[in-house]
Amino acid sequence: MKDLMRIKCLISQDIEALLNQQIKKEAHSSSLYLAMSSWCDQNGFDYSADYFAKQSEEERAHQLKLFKYVLDMGGNAISPEVTGIKTDFAGFREVFEDALEAEIAITQSFKNIASRCHKEQDFVTMEFLNWFLKEQREEEYKARRALELFEVIGEEGTGRWEIDKHVNKITYSEQ
Amino acid sequence: MEKACIDINELINVFSTDRGSVYQSDKLNCFYVDFGGKFARYNCLSLQKLKNIVEGIDVEALLLNTNKADFELITFNGCDHIYLLSALEIVSLKELLQGAFTMFKLNHLISDCLYRLTV
Repeated sequence: MKDLMRIKCLISQDIEALLNQQIKKEAHSSSLYLAMSSWCDQNGFDYSADYFAKQSEEERAHQLKLFKYVLDMGGNAISPEVTGIKTDFAGFREVFEDALEAEIAITQSFKNIASRCHKEQDFVTMEFLNWFLKEQREEEYKARRALELFEVIGEEGTGRWEIDKHVNKITYSEQ
Repeated sequence: MEKACIDINELINVFSTDRGSVYQSDKLNCFYVDFGGKFARYNCLSLQKLKNIVEGIDVEALLLNTNKADFELITFNGCDHIYLLSALEIVSLKELLQGAFTMFKLNHLISDCLYRLTV
């Protein structure tokens, strides 16, 4: 009997479902970052607004990268419905706390897919995921560093203004 | 009607229950689902879609909802067939499709061992 399902698609249905979930999570993150950008802009934090707008674009790029992979492997990539985006934040600090929490959730989600790939011995997808795992190092680092600015600079006086100016300067280097 | 047009001997029985069967045609690279009085042809994608739709039906909610009959209409875009199934039939179709997909997985493992991983 021909292995028709395998002929049609390189990835298993379980992996396909997990990748589609990840596509949705990336789309959710992209929208969340855009909402954060909007909040920052409205509250006079111009640099942070730019920072989150860029982050939103990055998440969108991640979503499309996953989308293309699922299609290239013969799977069914699902354009996700994104709802329940938080648009109001209690303060400047909460925006960054939520950003870090979102990145931690994304890292955890990728670890979960990687774990499944190992279980199924799907090393092709695993190799594809390595790029994302590496990317998460940078994403989490930047989100954590941004939050640390609140401790280093402090929010009193012109503290928030100072933090806003520094957010855009955070860069990650492996060296 | 469709059943009359194909040679049943060319089909491979993937999985059967008391209520139906799933067949595979290696010649035409497609599947046939014999269920609920229908003998319907599916490709890989549409069979997966059918499985996803059937698995997505909340049978418990269907039975508990007193404002609705215990029947569900099952079809999707690009599908030439419509099933009108009772809750019991949905459970049977779910069992049939899950069994078939388990056999696909098993066949994949066997194919790997017998043909793809041999030197």
